[in-house]
Amino acid sequence: MKRLRVWLIRLGAMFRKKRHEAELSAELESHLQLHIEDNLRAGMTPYEARREALMKLGGVEQAKEAHRDRRGLPLLETVWQDVRYATRTLAMRPGFAIVAVLTLAVGIGATTAVFSVVDRVLFRSLPYPQDDRLVSYGVRAPFEGIEFMLAPEYAVLRRQPNPFESMTSLAPGGADCDITEQNPVRMSCAVVESTFLATFGIHPIMGRDFTAEDDRPGAPQVALISFGLWRSRFGGDLKVVGRELSVNAKPLEIVGVLPAGFEMPNLAKVDMLLPQVLDEAALDRNNPRVLLRAFARLKPSLTIEQATAQLQPWFRDSLRFVPPQFRAEVSLRVRSLRNRQTADSRVSAWALLGAVVTVLLLACVNVTNLLLVRAAGRQRELAVRAALGASRARLVRQALTESLLLAIVGGLLGCGFAYMLLKVFLAIAPDGIVRLDQASLDLRVLLFCVAVSFLAGVIFGIAPALNGPAAEWLAGRASSAAGRGWFRQGLVGAQIAFSIILLAGAGLLLRSLWNLQNIPIGLDAQYVVAVQISLADHRYPDNARRLAFFQELETKMGRLPGGGLLALSDTLPPSGGMQATFFASIEVPGRPRPSQGTGGMVGWRMVTPSYFEVLGIPIVRGRGFTESDRSLAERPVILSEALAARLFPGEDPCGEMMRFTAFDRQGPWRTVVGVARNVKNDGLTTEGDPEFYIPWKDDAESYVGRGFALFRTSLSESSIVSWTRSQVTEIDPTVPLEFATMNTRVEKLAARPRFNAVLLSTFAGIGVVLAALGIYGVVSFYASQRSKEIGVRMALGATAAGISRMVLLSIWKWTLAGTIVGLAGAWFGAKLVESLLFGVRPHDPLLLGMAVVVLLVVALLAAWAPALRAAKVDPMVVLRYE
Amino acid sequence: MGESKLDLLQGTLDLIVLQTLAALGTLHGYGIARRIEQVSGDAVLLNQGTIYASLVRLQQRSWITAEWGTSDNNRKAKFYSITKRGRKQLAEDAAYWQRLSGVMGRVLAMGEEGGDK
Repeated sequence: MKRLRVWLIRLGAMFRKKRHEAELSAELESHLQLHIEDNLRAGMTPYEARREALMKLGGVEQAKEAHRDRRGLPLLETVWQDVRYATRTLAMRPGFAIVAVLTLAVGIGATTAVFSVVDRVLFRSLPYPQDDRLVSYGVRAPFEGIEFMLAPEYAVLRRQPNPFESMTSLAPGGADCDITEQNPVRMSCAVVESTFLATFGIHPIMGRDFTAEDDRPGAPQVALISFGLWRSRFGGDLKVVGRELSVNAKPLEIVGVLPAGFEMPNLAKVDMLLPQVLDEAALDRNNPRVLLRAFARLKPSLTIEQATAQLQPWFRDSLRFVPPQFRAEVSLRVRSLRNRQTADSRVSAWALLGAVVTVLLLACVNVTNLLLVRAAGRQRELAVRAALGASRARLVRQALTESLLLAIVGGLLGCGFAYMLLKVFLAIAPDGIVRLDQASLDLRVLLFCVAVSFLAGVIFGIAPALNGPAAEWLAGRASSAAGRGWFRQGLVGAQIAFSIILLAGAGLLLRSLWNLQNIPIGLDAQYVVAVQISLADHRYPDNARRLAFFQELETKMGRLPGGGLLALSDTLPPSGGMQATFFASIEVPGRPRPSQGTGGMVGWRMVTPSYFEVLGIPIVRGRGFTESDRSLAERPVILSEALAARLFPGEDPCGEMMRFTAFDRQGPWRTVVGVARNVKNDGLTTEGDPEFYIPWKDDAESYVGRGFALFRTSLSESSIVSWTRSQVTEIDPTVPLEFATMNTRVEKLAARPRFNAVLLSTFAGIGVVLAALGIYGVVSFYASQRSKEIGVRMALGATAAGISRMVLLSIWKWTLAGTIVGLAGAWFGAKLVESLLFGVRPHDPLLLGMAVVVLLVVALLAAWAPALRAAKVDPMVVLRYE
Repeated sequence: MGESKLDLLQGTLDLIVLQTLAALGTLHGYGIARRIEQVSGDAVLLNQGTIYASLVRLQQRSWITAEWGTSDNNRKAKFYSITKRGRKQLAEDAAYWQRLSGVMGRVLAMGEEGGDK
């Protein structure tokens, strides 16, 4: 406390400097006079008296200095002095300051914006206590990308010793549910085991968690509601716990409210948690069809590898559910929750972060160069200051203050720039980039921005600061200027290397994007509008009602105003999600079933006859479906070319028979009537699965909870939307509809690669501009340093071309070195982003070559202007200058 | 700035200034300096100017106060006097010094006795 008080007084003293100075002078003056009078009384002569008094006092100035040191805060004062001095010198050459600050703002701003996006993916902890112990686990099989558990196996594991402190599960995909009372609304519900919140370490902010009792079949229906639902629907009512709510036309009781930042481990949107109602008895009924997503909290200090090893015996035992020939394709997977959430975003996140840090380094290098050039112009000033007694440390501190001032101003502008950039990111970003919607410039990101600014200031400031003055500058000779030349040129080399890496990366991604967008997807998306229709289970509990709805829809909408064609299907290419079965489960008379393996997946769709015409999928053999194929007696099937080639190699499949197993039921024999051309059916980047089509019919074996109505029409999308809405409303006004043109649906699949490519190309563009600026600066500086030499050479008969060549050659060594390092970096970097590439090899020689050529051309152009200017020097002017 | 090296000396000087003011009441800077010279010669004050750094330090800690006034021979000067807090501090410091010098004396005496055993 005392220290603080003293410090405050001293701080205050800094601002009353003048008064203190005057008072001290007066006090010392009176001291001298008193002493002199004493001396005179002792009999000294006036001269002696004054001299003696001065000697005793020990020098007025020294006394004042000692007093000042005690009075104010000398360190703070010199810092303040440095800052003012730096501001003055920067303001003297505003051009330099503006260029430096803008360069930094771009670098820092871009880095901050990208950091705010990737932070959630790569670094920030998940919103659960001790999130590093949370894992997702289960078995992997060919038909499912994410690990899952079969319910009985889960029950077995729960009973026996396992590596988990706590385990829980939820129903995959969640469930749509509707509030069916006043103000009906559709919500997203998650169906979870009662241990769910406890395992993730989350406590309801009100009411209670689920208990094992809630998981018992026949228990009273309960629910936990999300914070958002609590605020929006119940107005934050503190008495909401215990309230009854009608959901899916059944009453349930709200028992608690989830905290505000609650997040599902699968990142699904959630308004309400419902108990899974799968107790031991229910799980044990040997019902392997129930799939679960399982999560757990590891026991303390257990690694994922150890947990995996401990689970092996259980896993081997569980394989008994799997038919022997498929076992090789099933494996056990335990991975961290973070890994599960961000697995497919990590590489692009790292790539973007790497790219933007490279841009930042380029910006720093550029500012270093600017500072060095300027420092060279101020050598004489620095030498004078050193000669007048400024210590080396003081000069370094002064230079660093200047750099940090630049960095802080650049950082401030950069934060503003980051804010705008983030808005742009969010505007152009496609769906499905994990946690992008949460990205914002919060305190953590701003702290990052400040840290980056300081770091940048030190990085670009340290070299110029240590560039101490040499005594010979006092003599006005420029002899030692060349000594630092290698450093500046080295920086040019570094810029070229960085830029080549960025250019090569951008080139690879652009090339991948081009490949992606030019993939033949096998259908004609032009003029097709798709409407997705989902029927809620509680309104359409059985197949008959669902089919009746679609039948009515078809009759009503078949009469499209203005002409056009309508088709129905249960799923749509080119994204995945169609019904599927194992290849091995398809039977063909006279063909032995494969004894080993599943043979991969085969998808199928239910379509109305006009489907092929609406989507422009050609029938390459046989015929398409007809209306008569929809009668219950007919069982036709149309194969894709890929499936036809596998089932009936080298034969005409038309007229052949096949049948397949779906939902554990052996289907009826079907006759192949035609072969359709292959269509991409699992995204753009994969080859896709073979598939077949069966007619959409009013048949108990068809299951349609969700379907698509497709229009091929010249009408605008908006008129289709309003017309469809009016038609559907006449049947059932509660059915939600989603509209999209087929083109949009296809383009969506390339949206993420496009996002990555656009960002990386922007960074590469910025990088090249920065590199060009850097090269221009260094060559200009070189030319101006050598102007005398050039004058002499020209006086001695050198040609302008010769001079230009000399100037250009000054950087070739470093350009070459930079190119080689850049190529090595690009080679290494391309390997890291390999999973983002499509249809292009990471070490594509053409792309690498192009990156190098582009950069060399830019370097040459940047060096050209100063080289030409150097050659225009009038030798007489230069030689007379000194 | 160079404070650590002078710490002992500063502390000592501060104590002496406090003691002087406690003993003689209100004094100006020159008067304090003269008094210290009379008592200790040049052993403590290398030159009189150093006293002003000490005075500023003591003022910042509110151990002394300062006021402009006129001296006996009608000269304007800044007069210093010890505060209540200063007296308390002086008592503490003086006790500490006495204890320390007592201990030092015993330690040195022990060195003489046990020199070659």
